[in-house]
Amino acid sequence: MPLQSILPQLFINGLIAGSVYALAACGFALVYYVVKFQYFSQGAILTIGAYIFFLFLNLMGLNYILAAILSIIISILAALTTNWLVYRPLRKRKAGGVPLLVASIVILIFSSSLMQALFGSSTKTLLLSNQNKVFTFGFLTITLFQIAIIILAFILFFLLFYILMRTRLGKAMRALADNKDVAQIVGINPEKIYNYTFIISAVLGGISGILIGLEQNLYPRMGVLIIIKGFISSVIGGLGSVPGAIVGGLFIGLVENIGIWFLPSSYKDVISFSIMLLFLLFRPQGILGVRMRDDN
Amino acid sequence: MLSLKNVSKSFGGVKAVERCSFEVEECTITSLIGPNGAGKTTVFNITSGLTKPDSGTIKLLGKNITGMPAYKIAQSGISRTFQITKVFKNLTIRDNLLIAKRTNDTEMNRVLESVYLNKPLDTIASELSYGQQRLLELARALSMPHNLLLLDEPTAGVNPQIRQELKSILRNLRKEGKTILLIEHDMDFVMDISNTVIVLNEGRVLKTGKPKEIVKDKKVLEAYLGK
Amino acid sequence: MITDFFISFSTYVIIYIIIVSSFNISFGFTGLVNLGHMVFFGIGAYTSAILTLHGMPWYFALILAGLFTSLIGAAIAAITVRLKGDYFQIVTLGLVFIAIAISRNWISLTRGALGLPGIPPIIKDNFNYMLFTFLVCVICLAFFYWLTKSETGKIFQAIRDDETAASILGKNTYFYKVLSITISTFFAGIAGSLFVHFIKFVDPSIFDLDFFVIILTMLVAGGLASITGSIIGVVSLAITSEALRFVVVNPELIGPVRHMSLMLILILILIYRPRGILGKVNV
Repeated sequence: MPLQSILPQLFINGLIAGSVYALAACGFALVYYVVKFQYFSQGAILTIGAYIFFLFLNLMGLNYILAAILSIIISILAALTTNWLVYRPLRKRKAGGVPLLVASIVILIFSSSLMQALFGSSTKTLLLSNQNKVFTFGFLTITLFQIAIIILAFILFFLLFYILMRTRLGKAMRALADNKDVAQIVGINPEKIYNYTFIISAVLGGISGILIGLEQNLYPRMGVLIIIKGFISSVIGGLGSVPGAIVGGLFIGLVENIGIWFLPSSYKDVISFSIMLLFLLFRPQGILGVRMRDDN
Repeated sequence: MLSLKNVSKSFGGVKAVERCSFEVEECTITSLIGPNGAGKTTVFNITSGLTKPDSGTIKLLGKNITGMPAYKIAQSGISRTFQITKVFKNLTIRDNLLIAKRTNDTEMNRVLESVYLNKPLDTIASELSYGQQRLLELARALSMPHNLLLLDEPTAGVNPQIRQELKSILRNLRKEGKTILLIEHDMDFVMDISNTVIVLNEGRVLKTGKPKEIVKDKKVLEAYLGK
Repeated sequence: MITDFFISFSTYVIIYIIIVSSFNISFGFTGLVNLGHMVFFGIGAYTSAILTLHGMPWYFALILAGLFTSLIGAAIAAITVRLKGDYFQIVTLGLVFIAIAISRNWISLTRGALGLPGIPPIIKDNFNYMLFTFLVCVICLAFFYWLTKSETGKIFQAIRDDETAASILGKNTYFYKVLSITISTFFAGIAGSLFVHFIKFVDPSIFDLDFFVIILTMLVAGGLASITGSIIGVVSLAITSEALRFVVVNPELIGPVRHMSLMLILILILIYRPRGILGKVNV
């Protein structure tokens, strides 16, 4: 098939993958923006969200809306627990970026071992009724569920912007991100806002975990693979920028899916990583031109 | 010894240094003064190669050093200290001095004595008080072979006794034939020891002259006190 | 049976000591948080495996594994050490996923996910092989102790504490950072080679982050910037990890439980004892 006729399909596939990456990336970016560390354990939250959904839906036979709500609640609890048990004590001892980064990678890997211990290492499949209902437009095919992913992702992006730009909480988050000392002087309690930040990113993480679980499959390492894409998206869009993470996620989704027309599909990771390296070397502030943190 | 010609540098549209030119004579103490934000530290960073200037030339002993990497400028003979001390905090005093110059314990103790820092060479730098860390940094800057010494606010954060000692340290260095350029806020200190004073304001050289001429100058007064 | 277990356990410990202390050179001594350090272990393992499978004698393969790995390390370092702290960590973490993708896809060389079986051993008898790895390890450690006491070692530490200060004292910090990575990846390659001739098999899972987290725990537990610390870190955690075998009843759970225990230890050290057992600097 010539490229022109398959291009719309690749574009749609890219948009689906991109929406998922962007969802994973914006939780990561939100924490990086407000709390100032590389929040890889967003991948753990994603994994937990997906597996808890699987537990309630498939193993306990709950209604899918109830299962989703419960799994988002548990994702929130998981994120708050990691903050209370690990990140807050590290901030208290004034640890630099490296221990926080190491801790977040460890929590990420921990979640995959935990899921392996609890649910076994085999791949699990989630399925909703109507999920695979296919729409065909000429060469183009897309499932009902994939349309739902794209729409839901954009609703969530809109809500996130609304919270950040229009609410008191969002203002406090931006103030804290801009200058912690000044924010404290005007009466903002950082720990309280950090908790809200973890809650919001956990909601995004739980939902993206469920969506990824439905679209692909469940396996213990899913969080590791997705959050790496989320974080590459975040770097490409502009590290520390929430809109940047979304733009970066969509960009990576599109490039990977159009790129596999030219390269074997298993080189997806190499494509996105190489693009990230090019950005780091030649445009470290990312697509949206966010100024990078100055270490001087 | 050192000459800056039309050096300019801006950070994201803000002009930190603008067409700045001055010279530092051999065997003198020259002070760079000016209100906060006048661009003094930027001049130091440009001279020592930590910041690349947008335009202009910097010459050391007639040799153009503009845009050279910091380590090469250091090797060409510029040694410096920082406003906020940059000692190697996990290393011992001995190792801090060793990075500046390969030498023996006797020599090291002599340098420490000359800056009135009486501590065993095996002391870890982070165990020193802030004032002592500043002295260690000075000792390290002195140990490195150099023609020109740049000192960024040597009296900041040190007690009055060390401040007096610093004066005699700097005078002794001048006697030994060293050339020193320093940034300083303590006017008594500056007027007391400098041969030449350069006043910077908003990134430009406002006035150059002997200490006596500077204290009388109206423009300098205005820059400090506002119009 | 008991002796077999003891010999293989000791061989692993010896190889881990080489890899952990080589990691300490870049991370602990130079402050370069190379999150892809185990990628170089894997490169060494693959290099040695492929060369010996094509009939090269082991001693050439061992040395070439070190040299080739450090060549790749130097090339990557030359590009990446200029990046600021955060970005260096990001790129080196990315190496892990690049390595996995390449080893899975370059089928003609690596047989992809199937891996390379039947790698010839250096010495057939396990006890003698343990002695051989011990000898190599002693040579490596002697070099590490010498290096960290040498002027170059002091410059590495100066760069870790304050890179700007090192550069205004006339040190070409770029060169020394590349050198540090080159040296540390050379020994990672040697360790990879020793490892692969012991287990006689290699597949892309050698690059997994799980393995890296174990090595990282041993390094941090022993303490940064202390070679003796690294030795103690490896030995104590290897014993802890083996002891768990007797606590966990279900054989399927041994792997994940061991792994999770090590990770908990790492988190506790990060919070409560950032210098580990013998460390000279905080994590």
